[in-house]
Amino acid sequence: MLKKLSLALVVAGFIGGAHAATEADVEKSFHPYKGGFPTFPGLKAGTTISKDNVEQFKDALADGTYLMIKNGYTTVTVGETTDFKLPQEYIQATLDNLNKSQLGAAVGDNIVGFAAGRPFPEEPDIKDPRAGEKLAWNYKYGLNWGDNAIINPLIFKYRNMESGEVERTLRNKFHFLNFKHRIRDEPVPEVTPNPSDLFRAIYLEVEGPEDLKGTKLLIQRYDDDAKLDDAYLYLGFQRRVRRLATGQVTDAFLGSDLMIEDFEGYNGRVADMKWTYKGTRNVLLPMWNHNEAPLSDEIDPDADGYKYIAFGGKGGCFLQAPWQLRKTYVLEAAPVNPNHPIGKRVFYMDAQLQNLNGAIEIYDRKGELWKVWSVGKSHPDHHLPINKGTGVGIDDGFQMVDIQSNHCTTGHFRGEIAPKETPPQKFQVQYMRGGD
Amino acid sequence: MKWYQHQRPACGLIAASIAAAFALPAVAGGLPDMGASAKPWEVDVLYDNHLAYRGEDATGHTVGLSKFRNTLTVEADKPVADGWKFRGVLRGSFDAVYRLNDDEYGDKAGGPVTLGNVSGAGGVFEVPHGGGIINNQSAAAMGLTTNAFGFDTTANPNDGMRVLGDRWHGVTPGDVAFGVPVRPCDEDSRGCRDFGGYGDLDRTELELPEFNDRLDFIREAHVRKTTYLDDGRALYLKIGKQQVIWGRTDLFRVLDVINPVDYSRNNIYDELEDIRIPMWIAQAEYRMGPSETMQDRNISLVWNFDKFRPNNLGQCGSPNVILDAACFFRGMANLWDNGGTVANFADGAVATDFGPHQIGIRDVHLPDWSIENTQLGVKFEGVTEGGVSFSLNALTYRSQLPSLRGLVTGPTNPFTGAPKTADETNLIAFDVYYPRLNMIGGSADFEAEALGAAIRLEGALTVGEEFPNSARERLFSRNKVWRSVIGIDRPTFIPWINPRRTTLISAQLFWQHIFDHEYYETGTRVAPSGATNALGPVGMADWKDNFIGTLLVKAFLMNDRLSPELIIARDFRSRTHAIAPKVEWSVSDQLKVTFGANFKGGSNSGNRFDDCRSCNPYGPFTGPVDDIGYSLGLGSYEPLGRFRAGPIGTAINEDEVFVTLRYKF
Repeated sequence: MLKKLSLALVVAGFIGGAHAATEADVEKSFHPYKGGFPTFPGLKAGTTISKDNVEQFKDALADGTYLMIKNGYTTVTVGETTDFKLPQEYIQATLDNLNKSQLGAAVGDNIVGFAAGRPFPEEPDIKDPRAGEKLAWNYKYGLNWGDNAIINPLIFKYRNMESGEVERTLRNKFHFLNFKHRIRDEPVPEVTPNPSDLFRAIYLEVEGPEDLKGTKLLIQRYDDDAKLDDAYLYLGFQRRVRRLATGQVTDAFLGSDLMIEDFEGYNGRVADMKWTYKGTRNVLLPMWNHNEAPLSDEIDPDADGYKYIAFGGKGGCFLQAPWQLRKTYVLEAAPVNPNHPIGKRVFYMDAQLQNLNGAIEIYDRKGELWKVWSVGKSHPDHHLPINKGTGVGIDDGFQMVDIQSNHCTTGHFRGEIAPKETPPQKFQVQYMRGGD
Repeated sequence: MKWYQHQRPACGLIAASIAAAFALPAVAGGLPDMGASAKPWEVDVLYDNHLAYRGEDATGHTVGLSKFRNTLTVEADKPVADGWKFRGVLRGSFDAVYRLNDDEYGDKAGGPVTLGNVSGAGGVFEVPHGGGIINNQSAAAMGLTTNAFGFDTTANPNDGMRVLGDRWHGVTPGDVAFGVPVRPCDEDSRGCRDFGGYGDLDRTELELPEFNDRLDFIREAHVRKTTYLDDGRALYLKIGKQQVIWGRTDLFRVLDVINPVDYSRNNIYDELEDIRIPMWIAQAEYRMGPSETMQDRNISLVWNFDKFRPNNLGQCGSPNVILDAACFFRGMANLWDNGGTVANFADGAVATDFGPHQIGIRDVHLPDWSIENTQLGVKFEGVTEGGVSFSLNALTYRSQLPSLRGLVTGPTNPFTGAPKTADETNLIAFDVYYPRLNMIGGSADFEAEALGAAIRLEGALTVGEEFPNSARERLFSRNKVWRSVIGIDRPTFIPWINPRRTTLISAQLFWQHIFDHEYYETGTRVAPSGATNALGPVGMADWKDNFIGTLLVKAFLMNDRLSPELIIARDFRSRTHAIAPKVEWSVSDQLKVTFGANFKGGSNSGNRFDDCRSCNPYGPFTGPVDDIGYSLGLGSYEPLGRFRAGPIGTAINEDEVFVTLRYKF
């Protein structure tokens, strides 16, 4: 009898951790606002949240965002919540592969059976001890920038938050390519041959300032999460590719307030973190329509008239475009490596896009809040014409605020879903040596 | 002889019109029309100032200002037609040190010298240049009535000179030495020879080093294009004046030997990018992309079709003369041309006045341009399935360092006045050559997760290099050489430096091995008469196995705008070291200031070798006829100690502090 009971508990536990997702789960995952957009008492489009009324809206704010407003560093203007519908191909891939993905036997193991789409589309369950891990996998295999994209340029400004002085301005060109699990742009489903079984690569070129000009970074991520990324740095002043050691992904990237590991919200292995799902909240995330958002002349417009998102607030560190009330999953990631420079990150994962980067708090090893970091997204249909209809939320600007150092880095994007700009040849080490 | 090829632990960094630089030679058909793109030029203009000050040299003399160099650089890029892109870099420098410190490096440098006569013959222990105890008259008095000793001091006066090597080892009683003219060649043409870009420069050419016949102010001018093919393949072409960098090693040049290097700019202490001498080169790469077993594969062909250029070792009398080699060259060339007084020579103890064409350097044979003299390399580079990056390299090229080959005929026998015969060997009279070399090698890097580090490996086997060898008739031998470096880069948290940003620790160990190394310890080489090299070792001055270690610690503060670093380099065999701290401060995106210093230490006491005073080229005058060419091993710092001391040991008395400034307009 006791044996039977134990078996029943084990089975119940197993099912509780991995119940079969349904098509309804998929529908809910990709269309969380089908039944209506979230609301919060007193909050509506046009509301400005400042330190004077922030307590009223505290529960609609990520903790870091709340603190920034409370401290009087910035205000947040509320915009209409909009539907960021993902591409049908991604949704269909999720349906086609429904329930094929399974977590590994132990925390940190690879998932098995994943092919494409969102691996775990079911609503996370707070009782599921591995719910956070599933969300992490959803992020890893999320749409992110789609199969391929460029950001040209992504301008970093290093700012003294106290004085407002812009200390440095970096002009970068980012390229993204998914080698595997592609859903839309040829070749689908993967670039072949791919003997190392790479999943994705990011290639970055620094165009200025002078002392960093010509620096290039290539990060190759394996589909096998147990393998460390391969990272290569080409230094313009050495004209040589250097293999990066692991530790360098947690260094300030070229002196900015970002680590390489911070790229896109989290740029590392799932297995490097202990992921904990902390619950679901409706909070404001920086998401907007670029064409309707406040734009700035701080950076000269591009030749075609494209203008960049405006920043303001203390030190010019803060996004000025409107924020939307979004359904988010609060996800905590604590580094497995005790020597990691951070204590934990708290992500407010947009439930629809399942990106991580709308609002993030980064804590130091002492458990004190170190950085508050947000990447703002534009709806693709209200950005550059090339992005229209892609279904990819276009990263449009970021604020990375180091509250301990009173310093920030802002990011000014021109993102394009541009398959022609991202041939696989660009994501090879030799390309860095020769340039184009 | 062959200069110390193992490389350079460095610690480690316009007057012409743009139009002139962009006037590319017609190197191939089908190249782009420069005006065909509507996209504008991207132009950066940079100004650099480098100010350096040196302390006392080995004579106790304070050197003072050693650099006041002002550099204007223009970098220009433009996409042109059909996917081709152009890049040009113009650089012009003016170093005012030749005027501001003309007592040391300019028209007033040097002066009269005295040379050792340790025997005390003639009642003196030192003689002025031109006052050798063995001279035409004294030799005639010994019965050598046809002797050719002695020289014309009006053609080779005792002025504008320093004693060879006095800057790095001082003047050691009993050592061989001679006077070396040190003024610019327009002021004093004695011993001036063109070694391929240095050795025969006037003051203006020293001040403005880029403005020369080779148009060095055009540092780069090339076009490049990537053509994407099917299946992830691509073809890449790059043609023009450029740098081609092979290998994975910092500071040392193992595979990175396609471009020669200009050590006159700042010895071994500038970034290689700034001191490689760009050459006209065509590169073609076939990038094959991944295969079923490798993540990346490419093969590249490099054809250096430029006229040969060697490394610039720095003209004697200028601030940066690596290995003090060019002073030896200039002194030797002057001895050949004009004769001169050599300290402690006859019997190893008597100052001797040689006449012209008896000892020294006669000619420099610089390879002319011809197809046969161009240089060709091929490299296969790949990334394995497991992520190990590697390369396999092969290069046929010319030695960038001079080789001094003893003359078979041509010199005059000073004892008889007759021409030297081929049987009279081991004479310290040379022509300079740059021999053809062939190199094969490879490199690899990978990540060591357990160490949190990246590991770099590089090695090369070179065939055809020539080394000084006092046991050979022409005083050189040709040996295979293996050079390799293992490096480890480990970003490490050092909380007291920066608790949130790793500090880079990078260590490297360089190993050079000379195959078939010929070296006779004292007393082990037996001459036909039964005599041995009782006075010291004989053979090759270069170490059979040499090791140099480098350690870099580089920290990053204030959002990487402030970066202190420390480089330590230790030449284990020469027993000398360099310690180079510096702090880089990026004041703004436009302005960067660097403060630093460079201190050397250790001891050169072991860096002496057979100087061939006892090589016995002219038996019976210099020893038994049967033993011609058998050196007794009498040694000095000069001339071969420099190969044991290396670039650090020979600069041991060049401690320097500096400040550099770079401004981007």
